[in-house]
Amino acid sequence: MGKLWQNFLVNIKREKLLAVSNLVIMTVTFLVLGMFLNIVTLSQTALRSLEEQAQLTVFFKDEFLEDQILNMKLELEKDERIMEIKYVSKEDAYRIFTEINKDQPVLLESISKNILPASLEIKTKELSDLSGLVSELEGGEGVEEVKFYKDVIDRFISWSSAVYVIGLVLAILFVVVSYSVVVVTIRLTISSKGSELEVLKLVGASDKYVKAPLVFQGTLFGFISAFVSSVLLSLLSWGGVSSGILPSKVAFFFISGAKLETVVYIIVLVLVLLLSGILLGFVGSSVAVKKYLKY
Amino acid sequence: MSQIEFRNVTKEYEPGFKALDDVTLSIDDGEFIFLVGPSGAGKSTFIKMLIREETPSEGEVLFNEVPIAELPSSKLPDLRRKIGVVFQDFKLLNSKNVFENVAVALEVVDSSEEVIKNVVPNVLSMVGLVEKMFNFPKQLSGGEKQRLSIARALAHEPDVLVADEPTGMIDPKSTEEVVEILERINSLGTTILMASHDQNIVNKLKKRVVRIEEGKIMSDKKGGRYYGQIMAKLLG
Repeated sequence: MGKLWQNFLVNIKREKLLAVSNLVIMTVTFLVLGMFLNIVTLSQTALRSLEEQAQLTVFFKDEFLEDQILNMKLELEKDERIMEIKYVSKEDAYRIFTEINKDQPVLLESISKNILPASLEIKTKELSDLSGLVSELEGGEGVEEVKFYKDVIDRFISWSSAVYVIGLVLAILFVVVSYSVVVVTIRLTISSKGSELEVLKLVGASDKYVKAPLVFQGTLFGFISAFVSSVLLSLLSWGGVSSGILPSKVAFFFISGAKLETVVYIIVLVLVLLLSGILLGFVGSSVAVKKYLKY
Repeated sequence: MSQIEFRNVTKEYEPGFKALDDVTLSIDDGEFIFLVGPSGAGKSTFIKMLIREETPSEGEVLFNEVPIAELPSSKLPDLRRKIGVVFQDFKLLNSKNVFENVAVALEVVDSSEEVIKNVVPNVLSMVGLVEKMFNFPKQLSGGEKQRLSIARALAHEPDVLVADEPTGMIDPKSTEEVVEILERINSLGTTILMASHDQNIVNKLKKRVVRIEEGKIMSDKKGGRYYGQIMAKLLG
């Protein structure tokens, strides 16, 4: 290990320009990859937050009493599809109505306190469950009407599915492109040493002797560039969280319903980048050097 | 027992083009042999067979009675440590200095730092380069580069030293120095196989001369001489 490290330092010193340009290319690639993953994560977070706003509202007949509605709420809370239920009493409804229409005294005068119905506002874990729930609740005991913006929700479901798919495809493409850039950069470094590797073999070097320093250098380059880009991304994200630009919780990539603390997400991202750097450096250099080991 | 043996070796790169054609030759331990002939005669192919850069299309090449073509890849480094090679174009590591270029040959056999520190200056003094130990190849003359190439080939004390046109790219004075070094190495017991078409050197040293033309051995004489293609034809 000591010898490999010593060789690495000597090589870097003698080929400063090549080493620096490779490190810059790889760091920028990891940085762009990290930024792209951040954009995907934030867009998924925004999408989830919009999904959470979608709800159905069950309005009850006046003769259906508050206790009965609360009993119904308790029953509905056992349903696994439902994420959140909020009871809005007649008084609450009137308060909300007056708050919204405070600038329209004529309208307010025409509405009495008891005219607005009590309701339950229901949010589901999955948008697609809203429709089914509406048909189950319609015509139920005490139910006056179930309100649900079907067209808007349906359009939103198709858009959000498209965003999921496009995001996932772009993410995979971008990961493949970034990985290719890193592997090609490592290959270029090794190709520039092609004639030297040939000489080493001619003086009786074993495969291990030829391979070890190059794989060590490739792995270290991968690690260093991933580390530098991770530090930059962490600083950016930390700035975003502390200034309130970024939410305290973000969606966990494409896993539906999964959310992570932003700090934990940053740690996961750093680990993913570091692991990618080390793996790409190792695999990329091992594959590239193989060409020169054929006798 | 011959150290090196070529048994009916033919090398055909393309159908109809034979770089070597049914070559049979034995070289004993400690011999100094000149392999002569015009460019394209097959001298380099002969040498490549010996270090298994190429394998025969027919026949076999044996080193210490072991068929080289049958060696597994893992045993090739061992073979190449026993056969040191000096190339016409030196094949030096330009990013390493003189000391490191020689040290590489020892590092590949896992020699200790102490051994390297002792052996490298000794080998370099043998070829007269000890004072340029920390220079880089680009700071050396053609003759010095070739001497460095010889030093590297000698570092792990090979049984055979193969020199492929070692004087082809250097001036007459350096040529004399290189040949003198090769003679000295041979006197210490190392077999020398030198490909050359330099008549002056071949005729001056009066060693065994094997003449190859169009892939075939035309003559093999101890204390032989080399007159070039036209003179050889005239003299039969």
